[in-house]
Order: sequence, then C-alpha cells, then structure tokens
Amino acid sequence: MIKQRPFLVETLTAVGLLLAPFVLPYLGFAPNTVNRILVWGLFGIGFDILFGFTGLLSFGQSALYGTGGFVAAYLLTQAGFPHVVTALFIGMVAAAVVGYLVGLIALRSTGIYFAMITVAIAEVFFFVEFNPLAEWTGGENGLPGVPSPSFDLGFTQITFSSGWSLYGFLAFWYFIGIVVGLRIIRSPVGAVFRAIRDNPLRAAAVGHNIHSYKITAFVIAAAYAGFAGGLLGVMQAFMPPDAFMFHTSAELIMMTAIGGTGTLFGPLVGASIWLFLQDFLQAALGLGAAWKLVLGVVFVLLVCFLRRGIIGGIHDLYLWLTRRGETEPDAPEGVPLPLGADVTASDMPAMPPQPRATDGHDGPILQAVGLTKRYGGLVANSDIDFTVNHGEVRGIIGPNGAGKSTFFKMLTCEVPPTSGRIVFEGNDITGRNVTDVCQLGLTKSYQVNQLFTRLTVRENLIIAVLGELRGKFRLDIFRKIDNVQGLTEQVERTLAMVNLTARADTPVTALAYGEKRRLEIGLALASSPSLLLLDEPLAGMSPQERVETVRLLKSISRGRTMIVIDHDMDSLFELVERVTVLQEGRVLVEGTPEEIKGNPAVQEAYLGGVLE
Amino acid sequence: MSLLEVHGLNSYYADSHILFDVGMHVERNEVVALIGRNGAGKSTTLKSLMGVVRPRSGQVVLDGVNVAGKASHAVAHAGMQLVHEDRRIFGSLNVEENLVLAGLTADNKWPLDRIYEMFPRLRERKGSRGTDLSGGEQQMLAIARALIRDPKIVLLDEPFEGLAPVIVRDLMKACRDLAAEGQTIVLVEQNLAATLALAQRVYIINNGHIVHEGTAADIKAQPEVLHRYLGV
Amino acid sequence: MINWANFVSQMFNGLVLGALLALISSGLTIIYGTLGVLNLAHGAMFMLGGYAGYVAYSYTDSFIVAVIAGSLFVMVAGVVMERVIIRHFYGRPDEDQLLVTFGIGIVMVELVRFFFGSLSLTVPAPQILSGITSLGFMFYPTYRLALVGIIAVALLALFLVLYRTRIGMIVRAGIEDSVMVDSLGINVYRVFMVVFGIGAMAAGFAGIVNAPVVSLTPDMGEAILVQTFVVVVIGGVGSFPGAILGGLIAGEIISITSMINPGYAYVMLFAAMTLVLVLRPHGLLGSQSRA
Repeated sequence: MIKQRPFLVETLTAVGLLLAPFVLPYLGFAPNTVNRILVWGLFGIGFDILFGFTGLLSFGQSALYGTGGFVAAYLLTQAGFPHVVTALFIGMVAAAVVGYLVGLIALRSTGIYFAMITVAIAEVFFFVEFNPLAEWTGGENGLPGVPSPSFDLGFTQITFSSGWSLYGFLAFWYFIGIVVGLRIIRSPVGAVFRAIRDNPLRAAAVGHNIHSYKITAFVIAAAYAGFAGGLLGVMQAFMPPDAFMFHTSAELIMMTAIGGTGTLFGPLVGASIWLFLQDFLQAALGLGAAWKLVLGVVFVLLVCFLRRGIIGGIHDLYLWLTRRGETEPDAPEGVPLPLGADVTASDMPAMPPQPRATDGHDGPILQAVGLTKRYGGLVANSDIDFTVNHGEVRGIIGPNGAGKSTFFKMLTCEVPPTSGRIVFEGNDITGRNVTDVCQLGLTKSYQVNQLFTRLTVRENLIIAVLGELRGKFRLDIFRKIDNVQGLTEQVERTLAMVNLTARADTPVTALAYGEKRRLEIGLALASSPSLLLLDEPLAGMSPQERVETVRLLKSISRGRTMIVIDHDMDSLFELVERVTVLQEGRVLVEGTPEEIKGNPAVQEAYLGGVLE
Repeated sequence: MSLLEVHGLNSYYADSHILFDVGMHVERNEVVALIGRNGAGKSTTLKSLMGVVRPRSGQVVLDGVNVAGKASHAVAHAGMQLVHEDRRIFGSLNVEENLVLAGLTADNKWPLDRIYEMFPRLRERKGSRGTDLSGGEQQMLAIARALIRDPKIVLLDEPFEGLAPVIVRDLMKACRDLAAEGQTIVLVEQNLAATLALAQRVYIINNGHIVHEGTAADIKAQPEVLHRYLGV
Repeated sequence: MINWANFVSQMFNGLVLGALLALISSGLTIIYGTLGVLNLAHGAMFMLGGYAGYVAYSYTDSFIVAVIAGSLFVMVAGVVMERVIIRHFYGRPDEDQLLVTFGIGIVMVELVRFFFGSLSLTVPAPQILSGITSLGFMFYPTYRLALVGIIAVALLALFLVLYRTRIGMIVRAGIEDSVMVDSLGINVYRVFMVVFGIGAMAAGFAGIVNAPVVSLTPDMGEAILVQTFVVVVIGGVGSFPGAILGGLIAGEIISITSMINPGYAYVMLFAAMTLVLVLRPHGLLGSQSRA
C-alpha cells in the first residue's frame, strides 16, 4: 500500500501538472496530445482501481465512457443546458447508475466469464448507441457543438477553449481525480479491494461481503469513465461515437498495462507513451498506420516480461539498485521461536475474545444436532450430535472415510448440511455463509495457506481486523485507514500472538513456510473469534516446527474455544483436552486423550481387525 | 540391483513440506506395502514416484534409470504406472476406449483379450461409458489401464477404498494372481488385513518420514508398531 | 405484416451465420476446455484465414487452394503462438492469459492492416457456386446455400476427428483430465499444441469460406469474437455439442431480430446470454468441471 509522507504523491502530481505546459513542448508534445493524455489518464484511474486494485478485468469500460460522455454532451447541445461542469457531473452520475446495473449482471460471474460478459456489454452498448438511440446520440455522426467551459465571475469571464487554455481545466479535474483515487485506495475499502484481488475466498472468510465491494469498485470505475467521457466531448467540442467502440476499452487496457497496473498513474504513463509513440512513429518515422502494430508488440512484450508495466519496472529497478548494498537476509527458516526457552503461555499477551452473544462464558458455545450430509447416494455424515463448551480445546479424529473434512466444512459453513442444525452462541447458523459466520465470531485457519499474497504480513492482518471492526460492508471510501479506531492495536496484538512482530512489514512471498503458517493462524485470530477452527494446522511441518506450533496453539487457546483436526496424533493429543472420534460418518466415541488411546473400539476402527 | 530404489525424496505442495528424505527399495516380483495414517504422505509418495508431483530433491531409480523430476509421461515410458486413488477414468470414453488410449504409446502393450481374461466384467461392459460404471468396475478399469502398458512396476493407491467387501475380494484375487505372475507392485492401502495378506514387505510412513521397515510377518507379530503409527 | 419470403430468407441467413459461429466456437471451446486458456485472438484468426486465402487466391485463382491455404496458414500460426508464447502462461493467472492472447490478436490485426491496408478486399465465390438459386417461392444466393453445406461438412469432419480418431480420443480425454493423459504416457504438452492448432484452423477455415459472403477488413474478427463468446457461454464452455447448439441459437437470434430492428440484434443476443447465465451458469450443455 502507498505509505509515504502524507500528501507527497498529491504534491508531486500538482507540481508535475503545473510544470507540464512549460516542459512538455520541448519533448515534442503538442498541447492537444497532452489534453488527450489527461483524459485517458482520468478514465484510467477508475479502471486501475477496478483491475489493478480489485483484480476485475473488464473489457466494457467504453460503455460507461460513452454513457457519461453522451449524457453530458446531450444536455449541453440538444437540451440547452448552460453549465458545463454540472453537465459533466450529471454524466458521471448517469454512468455510475448504469455501471451499477451492469455490475449487478456482470459480477455474478468471475474470471473468464466476467471478462466475456464485459466484452459483450461493450458491443451491445455500441450497437444501441448507434441505432435505436441514434436520435439522442447522433448515431454515426456523434453530437457536435459541445461548448467550452466558461465561468462568469462577474467582472470577467474565463473560458477554457482549447490547447493550453483547456489544459488548465483538464489538469484540474485530473488532479481532483487523483486526489480522490488516492483517498479511495488508502481507505479501508481500498484495502478490501486488494484483498479481493489477491484471495477472494479468504477475503470473504474474514468477514467481508465481497460482492458488494466488487460492485463498489465497478461503480467507481464507471463514474471515472463517465466523467472522462464528458471531458472528451468538451475537449473535442464534439462527442464522437467511437467513445463507445470496443477499441476504446481495448486501448484503455493496453495503456494501463503498459504504464503499470495497480499504480493509479499507470494509465497516465501508458497514455503518454501510447500517444507520444503514435505521433512519433507516424510523423518522424513515417510509419503511417503501423504505429499501432508497434504498440501492440510492445504490449505483448510487456505482458510477457514486465508484468507490472513501466512503473513497475522502474520500481523494481530502483529496489534492485538500492538493495545492492544491503544483504537481504535469507529466510529459509524465518525467525525461529527460541528453542526450549521460557516461551511459555504466560509470555504471550492474551487476546481475549470480544464478548459476543448474550450467554455467559459457560456452557455450550457450539451445538450441532442431527447433522447429516448426503452427496447423491453417498452419506458422508450421518446424524451427528456434537457439542463444544466455552473454553474447550477439542480434537476431531477418525480413520479414513470417517467424514471428518465434510463434518468440519459444515461447522465452518463452507458446505450446507443436508439436514440437522448448528447453533453457535445462541445463533442458528445452519446454511449460512462463511462471511456471516465470521462476523458472529467463528473463524477457520486453512490446511493450505490462504494468504493475501501481494501484501505484507501487517497488511494481511489489517484486512482481517477490518472485517471485525467494520462489519460485512461499509462504504467508507474517503476515510483514512489509519483513522479506523482500534485497528493498529488489534493488529499489533495479533502479530505478537503469532510471533510475527519482527516480520510485520515483510511481504508474504518472502516468508518461510513456518511463518506463513503462523500468519495463516493469525488471519483467523485477528478478528478475535470466540471459536477458532483449525484445519490440519500441522500439515507439511518438520518435527521441530510441530513442537513450536503446538506450543503456539496452546498459548492461543487461553480464553478461547478451539476445534482442531489433524492427522498427527501425538501432537494433537498433546494439544487438546477432549477428543471426538468419527467413524464412517458417525460419532464413535468422545473422551479425553487417555480414554481414547485406551479405547479398544477406537483401535479397532483404525486398525481394522488386523490383530486377531 | 533392486528394480526400484528411492533415496532422499523430498516433496512439497507449494511450500508445504510433505515428504522428508523418503527412501525405499523394491525388488523384482515383490509386493511392497506403504502404510500409515491419513495425511502421512502415502499418496504423495506414489505421486512423487510417478512424477505427478515433482519432488524437489531425491532420486527415483527404476531399473537403473533415474526418473525423479521427469514429467509423468516420461516416467510411464520408463515402465512405471500409477493407479490413482480417485481412479480417474475418462468418463466420456467407454471402457474399450479407455484401454486403447492407455496402450497407445506403450511398447509392449497387452492384447485386449488378456485384459478381458483377467477382468471378465470389463469385457461385458466394454461399450459402456466410464460414467456409467459402478465403483468396482471403475477400479478394475483403472487397474487394467495401468496393466495394459505392461509396466515394470505398478503403484496402487488405495485400490480397495469405498468398495463393497465382495468386490474387494475379487480385486484381491486379481492382485494375488498378478503377483503370482511376477508383477512388481507397490501397494498403499488403509485396509490393513488386505495389505498384510498381499504384501511381503511393509514400510510405515508417519508425518512424512519413513519410520519402520519390515516383513509383513514381523509386523503381524509386533502389533505395537501398528498401534504406534497407525492407531491412536 | 410479415413477408414470408423475407422471413425464410432471414432464417436461412440465421442458419448460415449459426453454422459459421458453431464452427468458430467449436475451435474456441476445445482450446478452452483442454488448455484452460480463453483465446482472445480467435476473432483475429478468423480474419487471418480470410486474408491468407485471399493471397492464395490472387496467385492461383483457385478457391479450393485458397481454402486450404487459409486453413493451414492459421493452423501454423496457432501452433507457433502456442509454442512460443502461450505455453509460458499456463501457470499464470487468468488475467495474464487474457491479456496476452488479447495482445496477440491486436498484433495480428495490425499486421494485416500494415500489409493490406484498411480497405476491404473481396474473394469471389467459385464460378459454379455463384449467382442465385430459385427455391420456388424465393431466390437465395447460391453460395450461401452451399456455405451451409460446406460448414456442415467441416463440422462433420471435426466431429469425426474428435469422436472417431485416436487423436480425437486423446483430445477428449485431455479436456476431461489432462494429468491422467500424461500419466498414461502421452505427452500432454504436445496434445495442447495440437488442440490449439485444430482450434485455430477451425477459425481460419471459417474465415476463408465466409470470405465470398462479406468483404475482408482487418477488423472483421472483432464482431465475430464477441458473438463467439456469447455462443460459448450459451452452449457451455468446453462442450463441442454445446458450441453447435449455441451457434445455431445465436445465429437465429441475430438474424430474426435483424429483420425487425437491426440495432436490437445484439441486445437480444446479450439478453439470451444473461438468461442462460442466470438459469444455467454452466451453459446449456456444459459440465461443472471447467469453471
């Protein structure tokens, strides 16, 4: 995330925009080109938020660009609306509304399907604009006569007509766009966007309503597109129909990728390169129409080799140059816990779970009654009654085919039961989803790490804590993330609990496996759950790591209820107080570890009558 | 020289370390079993031998050729076959097509008749699509598919899982016949009775480490070992 | 008042378009089903087939040579594309794959524009198939009638390859489970290459046989690409029968709505796609295996 001196980026942008008219002409930029760059740049801020930050690759932005542009142009030309800026804002709102409706349809799908639908949307909008709505949009002629913005200040009138005069107007709005964009990505909403991009499954599991956030990103992108579309009309004094064309979406994507996704400035840089090369290749090298071919090849090369575009490449170069002095500590084992030292449970700061439901901290916290799961003819779990009390540490074991993972998935609400009921802290959670259940205080740590891979340790935990502090969805796009009450304290507490304080600002990709596992547990802990489910926490660990992890889990278990599944019997029995044994989809027996070890029926279940 | 020699095998799922320096050897015509609890790494071991999971280090020497790290089609050509635990037959192809496909690139493939002799049920169902077969039939087909390539060694990953006792009996007979004909087999199986009946030697794996090796007879005589690593 | 001759004529047009879309979409869907890559350059390949055929025609004056040349050229282009670029993207996220095939498509279009300009070119129909045929109650362009037959033959050929040959069996198995195919000693990366080639060839063939009906422009692939997506979504990703069914449905929707109001054709198509997505997210004949 962009964590720098406050307002550094904004100031630099303002300075850059102010200096541009004096510097750029010497580099061969005509004023009209600069203006076009600004419009693309603004269009791209929204797209970058959608794609670079939220991971949604939409080929349909031209639809919103055209909508905003034509609504504004229509108001200003046919409807005789007097104020340019107000018309622009109305166009923006229109685009945002359309974006919302389109998003409702498109965002029901993900990945490839989503991309395909956005392609179709772009084409549909173009055809509709061209034919049925031609009276309003001027069909293939577009809408001419869009006026320049002018402001009557009483004693004088300021008109921004064209060239460098108009530059001031456009640069102003670009600046506003950047300030707003930066605000959005620095907000909690921006953090959740990144989480969705990296790992939508986990983002939902830590309590965020990702569908609503996706729609938010889509609407934001639509608003930027709509406003930029209006500016296009103003800039050209004419609203062209090719705003709606698919190639507009295509060029936007290419410019953003060339400049660098996930940077907000990528589209501006990409547009500069694109338009500069277009002029240069055509004029200087006399290549005529081949400039697009060259740019296409450049685009393919960048996607293959420089995945984060020009800005990303410069950033990596900078890091490489500044790192050459230091020796990056190799992290094969990570920061190990001191062996046999006095790292006892009392050393770890306790993080008491938030008081949740109305019950006291006695009695059952989770109660499953008659839980059954059928897959067609196969019965995975049959009529299971299962109760865990507050503060217990319970283990679930069972031989192959016992139905442990299915049972676990029903408890975490990843899979709905065929019949039966689950009550958690007095709430009936049967058939609810992981997001709701996390909000109620039940979380899970996964067998295979589900981390936010492009973020640091601290940023990972921030995402999880935000889920607790802000609920499923909140539209606080203008709030500074530092201003979220209690965020820093809770993140620090979680870091300490899983012993990752020293590695807080390390990116996930640089962590050792054991550290990643601790972060995995940390993500489940960060929202102060009252019930923590752990799916094979010891998976893939060396003997040493197992010892450390058991110690860690014991320290976490203070004042918290935990249910653990694992195949490592020795470690599990050391950790848990009570064990439930499943066999062939049913509960066989429950008891303390000692009772289970000595129970012949359990041995029989595992060893299958070999020892007769 | 053993038919199969495995040294220092380390395998990962992403960066999760599953197998720690696993080693074993299998002689010609032997049936060797690999047993352990769920999640101990039995399946991963077989997959690592076959190249479905690429081990990060270690050697897998089959008849003098090291196949560790090679793509599984290359390992198949070296003479190894794996019958996956979820069978993975091609549902959209019929029985005969599944068999023909398997034999396409084999040097010494078995004639179809020999397969059908071993598994008469498959002859009856040869035109049926994979999705229409019962669990037992699918398992037979999966094993037949491996055999048609005349492999030097066959790895069986939980072949009896989820099957009715009657079918398990039939399959066990087929396995016994195969072993009697000299086929070298590595067997991973949760059904300990079947395993100890078929295998001559047994390896026990726990938490990704090989913790015990012995003959089936010895293990039957020392149930404590089984308690320790397979029980609770 | 519906003009019946017009209506039947449009239904036929729908059939022609539907058959065309079915063929192109089959190529796209088997590539996606086997490799997991959505080939955004597929429309460009359609266009490339037309142009390659044009070049062959201008040298030989033979339509048949043009068809063969167009198909083979695009097949080779597809194989090269897969070997040189796509194979490095199998492990990369979906978006990267989309971007790279998208970029390659743009490069193809611009290359053609560079060599041939933007003005449209024509490839005439072969002499024996030119002119119009009388169907009793109406007249219909002969070549278009023939085109349905030609494409039907091509689809039949594709069907025979997929369902009656060994390579087809391997491809179908690969769509289902490419890991298992590899386990059985078949180099699955070679399978990927072959599938990409076949899929590309389907698009290229469609491009050249369709050339007498339209005029060739570098941008003609774009509309086809969108329509192909809709077909694949409706029919079900990875399903050859789905591509045929989806193609015919899409073709008829476009033609019949064009009769009433050309502007709404796309809207109707899009509405149909949305309907299928809501009711049967995996398409009419798709399966759960591929997302």
